[in-house]
Amino acid sequence: MKLNRTVIIAYWALLAVVALVGVAAIAVRTSQGLRVTNLTSLVPWGLWVAFYISFIGLSAGSFLISTLIYVFGVKRFEPVGRLAIFVAFIAMLTGLLFILLDLGHMERFWTVFFRRNSRSVLEWEIHFYNLYIVILLSELWLLMRRDLIRWGQGRGLKASLCRLLALGSTDLSEASAAQDMRAVRLLGMLGVPVALAVHGGTGAIFAVVKARPYWYTGLFPLIFIVSALASGGALLTFLYAFFGRRDKHHRDLVVSLGQMVAGFLALDLIFLASEMLVGLYGAVPDHLATYQAILTGPFWYVFWIGQLGLGAIVPLALILSRHTRASVGWIGVAGALIVVGILGVRLNIVIPPLTVPLMPGIDSAYPLGRFSTFEFTGLAGTLFALAIAAFVIASGWIIAYLTRLPRLPVERWLARAAGLAVVAGFVFMGLRFLDVGIAPEVVALSGAPARLPLFFGGSLRAQDPTFYSPSPIEWLSSMGLVALAVMAFTAGKLLLPLEAEAEPPSPQPRRFPGFEPQASEM
Amino acid sequence: MAKKRYGMAIDLRRCVGCEACTIACKQENHTPPGVAYAKVIKQETGTYPHVRRTFLPILCNHCDDPPCVPVCPVGATWKREEDGIVVVDYDVCIGCRYCVTACPYGARYFDFGDNYYEPMNAFEEQPSHEYGKTWDRTNGGSPIGNVRKCTFCLHRLARGEEPACVQTCMARARIFGDLNDPDSEVSRLIAERRHFRLKEELGTGPNVYYLV
Repeated sequence: MKLNRTVIIAYWALLAVVALVGVAAIAVRTSQGLRVTNLTSLVPWGLWVAFYISFIGLSAGSFLISTLIYVFGVKRFEPVGRLAIFVAFIAMLTGLLFILLDLGHMERFWTVFFRRNSRSVLEWEIHFYNLYIVILLSELWLLMRRDLIRWGQGRGLKASLCRLLALGSTDLSEASAAQDMRAVRLLGMLGVPVALAVHGGTGAIFAVVKARPYWYTGLFPLIFIVSALASGGALLTFLYAFFGRRDKHHRDLVVSLGQMVAGFLALDLIFLASEMLVGLYGAVPDHLATYQAILTGPFWYVFWIGQLGLGAIVPLALILSRHTRASVGWIGVAGALIVVGILGVRLNIVIPPLTVPLMPGIDSAYPLGRFSTFEFTGLAGTLFALAIAAFVIASGWIIAYLTRLPRLPVERWLARAAGLAVVAGFVFMGLRFLDVGIAPEVVALSGAPARLPLFFGGSLRAQDPTFYSPSPIEWLSSMGLVALAVMAFTAGKLLLPLEAEAEPPSPQPRRFPGFEPQASEM
Repeated sequence: MAKKRYGMAIDLRRCVGCEACTIACKQENHTPPGVAYAKVIKQETGTYPHVRRTFLPILCNHCDDPPCVPVCPVGATWKREEDGIVVVDYDVCIGCRYCVTACPYGARYFDFGDNYYEPMNAFEEQPSHEYGKTWDRTNGGSPIGNVRKCTFCLHRLARGEEPACVQTCMARARIFGDLNDPDSEVSRLIAERRHFRLKEELGTGPNVYYLV
């Protein structure tokens, strides 16, 4: 089905609304400092750190999958190669922006480049991140070089951009292409250990903290790497399934990407089970308390519904089931679900271990609980209400469009229900930020501060200093950064040669036995 | 002169849980809400009528091998060679809070910029004199956005005074001194009395001793 103009406008409008609200939230955070968060000295890391490790994971996983092609010679995956490296670059930048937001003194971030502390894992990570970004950009440029030159020969915005990015290179010969590929292979070989260090090291940031038994295990950095491979691969599967070129390899490739991701996800679940069984069997009080917080705490659904249900069982079923395993649409949906599920994994890595008091009674020895000082009043409230309205209208258009794509009525209904549930959830959360949507008597009874988003957290524990639920500014700035990342990705997809030039159509398209290709299939 | 190794002994048989140390520390260092370098864990054990209320005053242990120090990406925190006090350089700290998660004792705090009164009252507006400098919180700069912790009242030691919590303790439960000097009161008490330290098993080498 052709994209019509309204849907394109709705798509950009949706992203623009979320990004604008996010930028406003970032401005509030920058001018007022971290007092606009719900973080405390007991739970000093929260939503932003969870998003940071999620995006670093997406980046490392996506890059490692590109090395399968360029280093280990899995030519089958070639069509996603450039996409993988571009996604890795965008995700890396987004992750670093999240950690920048989290700094108490953002203006001092650049001091990490010359104030060295060689014993700090975080300091090592910063250097790995820089090296990694250089590798990503070099590889991406080498891979796109010849297409940039070709695309740069025309007129218009796209051609000018490509001419600019070609950096004056004009050599279109086959020999230069072979040289490019040799360099890509070398960079990829260097990139594998660097990418492992980037995300394994991010895991080590947590794993070296002996104060927190849940983090302090040798398996932790490995879990980071495996879940990075699962989430990065899943993101690529989702993007390639819906936005990749529909040539004769498309379905085969989506299916094999999906199966690879299922393998990584299964390995991730085995690691999780191992950690969990050992931790629960050992029953060291702090360790046990962390599992209690994850499994039965106020955010139990992040594990049971997010991480395990929608993030693992449903996508595995979609990828492996006889009915859906050859459907590009369903495997793409499975990819998106895994990406969201791994976000749940990251939230559960960062927050629950911090909510466990380091010593009995230390959480209540002195009042440490605090809540964001930010409230939507006056103009900010009106503008935010307008933004919610714009969000609902734009997402309504997009849902209406998406639900026309699937072939079967049941799939259309599922798409409608899922879309409406997501929009309703966001609107409910937005209204809570505006102090709308729950009777004041209920708030008084439960003791919840009005601005606490009940949808994303329990209410009864609002007085508990070990309770952390992200503040409106934390949520809105995060959503804004995600929207900006999606905008950057879309712009890159539209303006850059992220796919190799098409091959001439083959007379005999390969078919899956018993599964006829459908023109309108999602 | 030999290097000092400052430490503290806290006599749990003398502590009455009055929290004068908490208050004295907050006054001395002008700490905002949510920051209390010294505090007292209060717990009830047993069931009525056999019940006992126990007090455990806690503060930074100024460990021999502090887990909070190596994690800092910019080296803004270190253990001083000359007296063993673990300090934070407010002008260098970027506020990443890694050390807050790494301390096994919950002895590090983040200054979120909250105040008791809006606008600040006259007492809150006064600067803190930690590290012998003047830290003004009214302009939104450091120590807001920094990690803060107990310094054994370094600025008072420089004037030849004891830490505020030690001076104020009415039961004289806190004894402060140089652990490298075998004749200091704190060294003698540790040598003579039964004592324990918190989470010694982590290899941190805490320098706050609890006399029992």
